[in-house]
Amino acid sequence: MPGKTFCLATLTLLVALGLGGCASPPKQPENLLAPTEEQMKIRNMQTRTFDVADRRVAMRGVIAALQDLGFIIERANEPLGLVTAARFAEPKYYDVVGVTVTVRSLNEKQTTIRANAIFNNEPITDPEVYRNFFATLERSLFIGRN
Amino acid sequence: MTTRRSGTLPTTIRSSRQGVRCGAVRAVPGSDPARRGWGALLIVASLFGAACAGPKTTPLELFELTPESAANKAMQTRQFETPSSDELLSASAAVLQDLGFQVTESDRDVGFLRAAKERSAREYGQEIRRDIVAFLTLMIGALGGTNTMYVAPVDLHQQINASLVAQPIQDDDERQNVRIVFYRLVWKGDGSSGNQSIPPGQQKMEMIRDAEIYQQFFARLSKAVFLEAHKI
Repeated sequence: MPGKTFCLATLTLLVALGLGGCASPPKQPENLLAPTEEQMKIRNMQTRTFDVADRRVAMRGVIAALQDLGFIIERANEPLGLVTAARFAEPKYYDVVGVTVTVRSLNEKQTTIRANAIFNNEPITDPEVYRNFFATLERSLFIGRN
Repeated sequence: MTTRRSGTLPTTIRSSRQGVRCGAVRAVPGSDPARRGWGALLIVASLFGAACAGPKTTPLELFELTPESAANKAMQTRQFETPSSDELLSASAAVLQDLGFQVTESDRDVGFLRAAKERSAREYGQEIRRDIVAFLTLMIGALGGTNTMYVAPVDLHQQINASLVAQPIQDDDERQNVRIVFYRLVWKGDGSSGNQSIPPGQQKMEMIRDAEIYQQFFARLSKAVFLEAHKI
């Protein structure tokens, strides 16, 4: 009978759709943790090497520069060469800039400084921002030297 | 207005102490001429209020030195003639304790301290202003037959934070530089605008730029280490 066939067809269709749902889970995107093109570009912007032999001196310079820029130092770890600081956009509203700076010795005469800056939880990709920061840092490191 | 989550410093809405207090008074414009007049006035007032918000800063500006940077540095920094920054650091922790702070973080090698304390933030002046505005808006609304009473949320609770760094002055290990910055988070209470209630918990943050507070801190620190605090 036509009615019965229709019912059977609908049921079969529903079962097929139901079983289709049991298919294997969607494939994970490959290389989830691998760096992207953009991240490599950002890394170059964020890193600078300075002719400072003593890593401690470099760290002090970084902290002084951050304080001069109005940042609040949140976390500091000297043996690891880590400083985290943040700043609000005052007197205007609700913007927060955070920065993590790492200071590492490259060789006996140089140290590498990397600054990861975020603006409202998104990484800052404007190279001018990093240039300004490193300019202030350079002034702070070499003040009193000729 | 949106709340914004941040990794470390929690922020939502902020306004500056020095900024204009923007009380946006809203009203439903009426249909007859008298109510329309009041309505227009209130809309204009609220537009002025909205204009007080100001443009948002870009990250570029936040990484540049401003003319105030030098003045702030002078206010927040003092120099001490001692070779030992450990002693200064531990004395600073003691002074902060005296002032009622809890030290939350410290790092000896870098000479870093971070401290916080929580207090009530209720201000007499703010509460008076709120009552006056509420009364006026209630009266205005009563003229038009609507409920336009605006009860502004006032400061309720605050957390005052301090971040201090004590380190040798560059190339001179006989003198130490101590720099401290105070800032606060303020939580507001609840309020209402007409028939709509404003929930409590609105937050703002501000740097403390009152020179008196810094002077008091350094006076105490100076006494604690028996050394004179030199201004830079």
